[in-house]
Amino acid sequence: MRGRRGERRLPPLFVMPHLVVENLTKIYERGKIRALSNVNFSVEKGEFLVLIGLSGSGKSTLLRCINRLVEPTSGRIFLNGVELTKLSPRAMRKVRRRIGMVFQQFNLVKRATVLQNVLAGRLGYNPTLPTLFGRFPKEDVRRAQECLARVGLLDKVYVRADQLSGGQQQRVGIARALMQEPELLLADEPVSALDPATSHSVMQYIEQINKEDGVTVIASLHFLSLARRYGQRIIALKAGEKVFDGKPEEIDDRKFKEIYGEEAEEVEVR
Amino acid sequence: MKLLRPRLLSFAADLFLWAYLLYSGFTLYYLEALWSPWRPEEKLVWPALSPWGWAVVVVGMVEAVLLTRSFGPSLGQRVLGVHLVGEGGRRPTFAQRLAYFGFSHLEILVLGAGVWLNPQNPWHERWAGLRLEPLPPLGSEARRPPWYRTAYGLTALLLIAATLAVGWRLTEVDLQKLVRFAPKSLRIWRGLTNPSFEYLFRPDPRIKLSFLDGLVQSLYMALLATVAGIVVAFPLSFAGARNIAARSPFGWLLYSLTRGFFNVFRAVESVFWASIFAIWVGFGPFAGSMALFIHTIAALGKLFSEQVEHIDPGPVEALTATGANLLQILRYAVVPQVIPQFLAFSLYRWDINLRMATVVALVGGGGIGQLLFEYKDDLQWNLVGGVIILFMVTVWIMDYVSGWVREKIV
Repeated sequence: MRGRRGERRLPPLFVMPHLVVENLTKIYERGKIRALSNVNFSVEKGEFLVLIGLSGSGKSTLLRCINRLVEPTSGRIFLNGVELTKLSPRAMRKVRRRIGMVFQQFNLVKRATVLQNVLAGRLGYNPTLPTLFGRFPKEDVRRAQECLARVGLLDKVYVRADQLSGGQQQRVGIARALMQEPELLLADEPVSALDPATSHSVMQYIEQINKEDGVTVIASLHFLSLARRYGQRIIALKAGEKVFDGKPEEIDDRKFKEIYGEEAEEVEVR
Repeated sequence: MKLLRPRLLSFAADLFLWAYLLYSGFTLYYLEALWSPWRPEEKLVWPALSPWGWAVVVVGMVEAVLLTRSFGPSLGQRVLGVHLVGEGGRRPTFAQRLAYFGFSHLEILVLGAGVWLNPQNPWHERWAGLRLEPLPPLGSEARRPPWYRTAYGLTALLLIAATLAVGWRLTEVDLQKLVRFAPKSLRIWRGLTNPSFEYLFRPDPRIKLSFLDGLVQSLYMALLATVAGIVVAFPLSFAGARNIAARSPFGWLLYSLTRGFFNVFRAVESVFWASIFAIWVGFGPFAGSMALFIHTIAALGKLFSEQVEHIDPGPVEALTATGANLLQILRYAVVPQVIPQFLAFSLYRWDINLRMATVVALVGGGGIGQLLFEYKDDLQWNLVGGVIILFMVTVWIMDYVSGWVREKIV
């Protein structure tokens, strides 16, 4: 069966969750590293899912497989019943517009202004030629200001991105994702490069988007305490395999050691 | 194959090294003893050796290779990062090295069959009780002998000495001449230090060009070539950047072709292009600017694409994730990161092109260089001095200004 935009859809008989990941495996060609093996899970609309695990456990790869910044080796991913793993590059670009992403290193263009960075979130919706000349619809500029107001940066609109502090830069990153009017927000260690106080402020903005706009959020986090505080559900990865999937309260001492190794000890971020 | 490699490659390197030393020796002998600069017309052949003479030379070469390989790491072994060690990683004893030297001869006689059959631990190594092992990383070893007490250090010294000696002879360096014929050049120096600006404003009746006309022409030649070069090099630089272009097989092909184009066209000097265009479009400034233009594309293209390769990949990833297409990603994630460097390189290129603009005149490129070479051919050294001084002042001002601008934008 085909949907409105020619995308393959499953028959409506199956009511699928918002996002389904099926048998996802990623093997990096160089060095034959198995970053993900046979990961299965699904996410309901409006859920706040947190991925935890040690560095190199496959959290980033998993997030990047969902919007296919990284091409999965095998497995299937469905968003709203559309099989993303089968889409052509052009169709995938269309889908990416609705998937926001926030990065550990913010990934802003440092030499550009805050406004330009935020407007860039709108590129996929606009025709190529005007954007090449830096022209955006008035509507988008207004929207950019709204998004910046939401993250409390309205006074920094014309400031160059490299003049901002880390927390402010990450908020610009969030505003850029908001510009996409996302239905799904992927956050790859959004607060790892920030100090504890700023971490909470940034996480609260992400939580706000989740609660107010009903955007599904998948965030990978380093600290379990942050994961417990913000996640409705936690998935733990270890060496590319899913070792836990459940409520934050269910992670006890034994489970913790299983995920992070025997020597690990829990630290708290306040 | 992995195990074969260090052995075969280091042996090949050693063999090549000694063959090179031998060649250098022959060349020096030929130039020193047989060839005379005063009677170059006398036909001389390379030193002829009888068949057994060549045999001795080849055997001697192989012996030298084996000797350096047995006693201390040879240069080939050192370069490939391997050395001989005894049981349990101990330093080989003299007897072991001697045995290794002897057994290596057997290995050569059977054409290295042991290495092919048992690459893990060939006969000659096993019998001598030695193994070829990777060198420990620098600093982890207890003590390494100083370079002048190792085989590789001494052969490297020999290599450098032989290369310099042959170079000295082949370039016919003769310091005596510098002194002996100095008075000959006195006339030139006298002319250059008494520059004449006779035709600074007034056109030279013979060439129909004044100094300033030539200078302005050269400046615009350089400017036009640079601007046109930038216009072409800018889009090409993305195709020539590995991180942007080489993502698919087709992109890889595009990348390789672009880079190949840059390298080939950069390797060919502007003077050569100028002589081609002088025939193609006729003598004059157009031919000169075309030559500068071609060279600018290649040189700037390579510099630009290297800058593109050094960008922070983060913004590219971020904009890919928003669903932007390739052109939009280039415009919003790549270009802002490279613009200052692009501008700096472009200014620098204008500098270079102005200087090259005089050189291309040598083969009919027009501009101020034309005056320079005309006067030089007529031995009018005063006028040559005038042109050079005018040009020097211009280049100096340009250098200063572009340096100042570059500092401002980077």
